[in-house]
Amino acid sequence: MAIIEFDNVSFRQPSGVMALKDVSLSIEKGEVVAIVGGNGAGKTTLLKHLNGLLKPSSGSVKIFGRDTRDQSVAELSKKIGLVFQNSDHQLFSETAEAEVLFGLRNFGFSEEEAAKRANEVFSYFGLDGLRQRAPLTLSGGEKKRLCIAAVMAWNPEVLVLDEPTVGQDFPSKNRIFATVKQLVAARKTVIVVSHDLEFIWPLNARTVVMNRGQVVADGDPQRIFADGRLLEDAGLRQPQLVALSKLFGRDASFKDVNDASEWLANR
Amino acid sequence: MAHVLAEGLKFRHQDTPIHSLDPRIKLLMSVMLFSVALVSDGPYQLAVTFAAIAVPTTLARSLRRMGRVVVVSLTFAAFILVVNILVGYPLLKSLSITLRFIAIVAATSLFFVTTSPDELEYVMRWFRLPRDFVFAFVTAVRFVPVLMLDLTQIIDAQKSRGLELDKGGPIKRLRNLVPVLIPLIVNALIRSGELAEAMESRGYGAVKKPTSLHELRLWGRDYAALMITVGAWSGILFAFRYYIGVV
Amino acid sequence: MVDEILSFEDFTFKYAGLNAPTLRNVTFSLKKGEIAVLAGASGSGKTTLLRSINGLIPHMYPGEYSGKVVVDGRLVADTPTYEMASKIGFLFQNPENQIFMFTVERDIAFGLENLGVDRKEIARRVDWALKLLDIEDLRQRSPSELSDGQKQRVAIAGALAMGPELLVLDEPTSLLDPRTAHDVVNLVKRLNVELGLTVLLVEHRLELVAPVADKLIILADGRIWKQGDPQEVLNAEGIHEVGLSAPTVVELQRQLRSRGRWSQRIKLSVDEFYLEASKAWP
Repeated sequence: MAIIEFDNVSFRQPSGVMALKDVSLSIEKGEVVAIVGGNGAGKTTLLKHLNGLLKPSSGSVKIFGRDTRDQSVAELSKKIGLVFQNSDHQLFSETAEAEVLFGLRNFGFSEEEAAKRANEVFSYFGLDGLRQRAPLTLSGGEKKRLCIAAVMAWNPEVLVLDEPTVGQDFPSKNRIFATVKQLVAARKTVIVVSHDLEFIWPLNARTVVMNRGQVVADGDPQRIFADGRLLEDAGLRQPQLVALSKLFGRDASFKDVNDASEWLANR
Repeated sequence: MAHVLAEGLKFRHQDTPIHSLDPRIKLLMSVMLFSVALVSDGPYQLAVTFAAIAVPTTLARSLRRMGRVVVVSLTFAAFILVVNILVGYPLLKSLSITLRFIAIVAATSLFFVTTSPDELEYVMRWFRLPRDFVFAFVTAVRFVPVLMLDLTQIIDAQKSRGLELDKGGPIKRLRNLVPVLIPLIVNALIRSGELAEAMESRGYGAVKKPTSLHELRLWGRDYAALMITVGAWSGILFAFRYYIGVV
Repeated sequence: MVDEILSFEDFTFKYAGLNAPTLRNVTFSLKKGEIAVLAGASGSGKTTLLRSINGLIPHMYPGEYSGKVVVDGRLVADTPTYEMASKIGFLFQNPENQIFMFTVERDIAFGLENLGVDRKEIARRVDWALKLLDIEDLRQRSPSELSDGQKQRVAIAGALAMGPELLVLDEPTSLLDPRTAHDVVNLVKRLNVELGLTVLLVEHRLELVAPVADKLIILADGRIWKQGDPQEVLNAEGIHEVGLSAPTVVELQRQLRSRGRWSQRIKLSVDEFYLEASKAWP
C-alpha cells in the first residue's frame, strides 16, 4: 500500500528556478528508501513536500491517500517525522527531556501520555543519561540522536532523515546507522536523504538518485551504485567497495569489507 | 509586511544615471529632499516636494520599489493622521503633516534603494566614522540575508514538530516565538564567535589606518548632479518662502 | 631547523575555566612544502591545536599554556595574531562565517586592507588570487548568492591573497557534497604543488585526504596517538578505538594481511590497490 505518492510533481522557487521537475515516486509502508544526490539536486525540496512545508507548483503529493494541499503541516508532521540536517536549528529547551516533550505537547498528547512516551523513547534510543542535560551542551552526535528521539516520540509512521551524517565523526555515524537499523527492524518506513554513499551502501536500501531536480534512477542499489557514470554525473562518489568490485570484474558488489577480503583471499 | 519593507529598502543593482553617481552625491540628494519634505506645508508645497522626489526616482527606474515602501509606511501614516486629529489639529493640517511624513520616508529610501551596502561603507569611512563601528555595521548588513535564511530553516524545523505559529490568542502566539527565537539567537551568537576568530586570522587591527581597494572619486556627472541638486534645493526653498505660500 | 615551518614542542594547554587540559604534550613538526593531515574524533583537541597555531590561543582564548609553538622561527605566544595573519592562512569549517564583505573582490581585499597594504598592491593580489582560484567571473558577485563550493574558494582566495607560507584548513569539506569536497582536496594539492605552500588539513574522512597526505597525525584525547607516514599510521592497530576509520580499501588490505595474503605496502586509494593487486594475482 503506497503511503507516499508523488505524481508528476514540479516545484518552482520564488526566484524562478525549477527545483523539482516532473518527479514521480511511490513509497510503500515499511519500505526503506535512500534518496541520494549532490547539493542542489532537489533532495531537501522533495523532503519538504512530504509534510507540506512546500506544496507542488504542479502535480500532486498524496500522503496516505490524501492530497497534501488539503492538510496542514502539523497534521502531516504527525504522520511523517522530518529530522533536518542542522540540529542547532531546532534545539532550544533547557533539558533534553523538555525538548522531547515539546513535540508531544504540540501534537496534543496529554501530560501523562507525553511523559510515558518520553520515557520510552529515551530508553529505546539509549539516551537515558542525557535526559536532564541542556541540549546545547551535547556533542554533535548526541544532538542528532536526541532530534531523532524527539521525532519518534510521537511515533510517526514515516521517519525522514535529512543528511544525518554531515559534520558527524566516525563513532557518531556508526551510532546513527545503528539507530536507523533499529527503526528498520521495527518496520518503520524510513527515508534517508544523503550524499554520503559510504553510509548508505550498507543499508542495502532501494535507492533514488536525484540530479537537477529530477529523479534519474530508482531501484536496486546493486545496479545503481555500480553505474559510475550516473553517480559521477549526479555529483556523487562511488563507495570504495563498489568501485573495487567493478575493477575486479564482479557482477555483484561486495557488501562489506569481510565479503571482499574473503573473496580476494581465495583468488 | 516587514518582508515588503525589507524588500523595498534592499539595494538592487541597476544601470541608471542615479545608481552610477558617487554615493556622497546620492546621500546629498536624499538629505536635500528630506529637508525640503520637512519644511513643506500645504498642498502646493507638498506637490512640489513629491515631484522633486519623483524625478530622481524615475531616473533610477525605481518607482515601483518606492511605491512599495510608501504603501508600507501608510499604516504608520494613518496612525499619525489619527493622532493629529485627536489632538485637535484641523483635518487639512493633519493631512499635511501625514503627507510630510510619507515624503520624508520616500526621500530617505531613495538613498538606500540606489546605494549598495558596499558604497555605504565607503561613505561611512569617508565621514571618518570609527573603523570598528563601520565594520560592525557592514558585517551586520552582510549577514541579514544569512540570518533570514536561518530563520526560515528554523521555522520549517519547528513547524515539523507541530508548532503552529498562526494559531492561538496573542499570549500563545508570543510563547510560540520562543522555539524560533532561541535557536536564531544562539546561531547568531555562534556565528559571531566564528566571525571574530576569522577577523583576527585576517589581520584585523594590525594597522590603525587600514587602506582600501577602491576610493571614492567624483566624475563629471557627479559635479553636474551636485550643481543640479544644490540649484534645485535653493530654488525650491526660495519658491516656498516667497511664491508658494501655505493655503 | 631551517626546513621546519611549524613545530609544537611538548605543548600542553588548558582553557581557563576547564578542569583538565585539552591538549597534552603535543610534539610534532611540519617541513616546508609538506601536506599534513590532522585527524581525530570529536573532542580530541583538533580545534584547540589549530587555534594554537595562529595565536588565537593564547591571545583570544587564555588559559594555562606550557611548551612551545613556533611558526617560521617565531614563538606564537609572543606574536600578536594579526602579525601571524600574513604568515598563516586560516580556513574555518563554515565558509559563510569568514566572508565579511558584500562583494567577492572586497572580501579578498579585506585582509590586505587590514594590513595597510597600498592600493595598487591590493589590486594586484586580488587579481592574482581570483585567477589562481579560478573565480574571476565571481569578482562582483555578492557572497550570499554563491554556492558552498564557490564560497569556500572565495575564503581560500582571501587567505592566500595575504601571501602566507602555511595554509591551515579546519575540516573544509565537512559541509560540502562529495564532488565539491573532492574538488577542494584537489585544489589544495594543486596549491601545494604550484605555490610550494605547506598545508595542515584537519579532516576525519580519511578516504578523501589519505592519497594526498605526506604525513598523518592522529589526535586522541588531547594527545598525539600516532604520526608519520600515512601508510604506516593507517595500518596501525586500534584506529577504531580512537574514533577514526581507515578508508575501506585500507581496512581491506589489513584484513588480507592478517590472512597472510598481502605483504606489499598499504595502498591508500582504490586504483593504486587494484594495480598492485592485479600484479600480485594476474
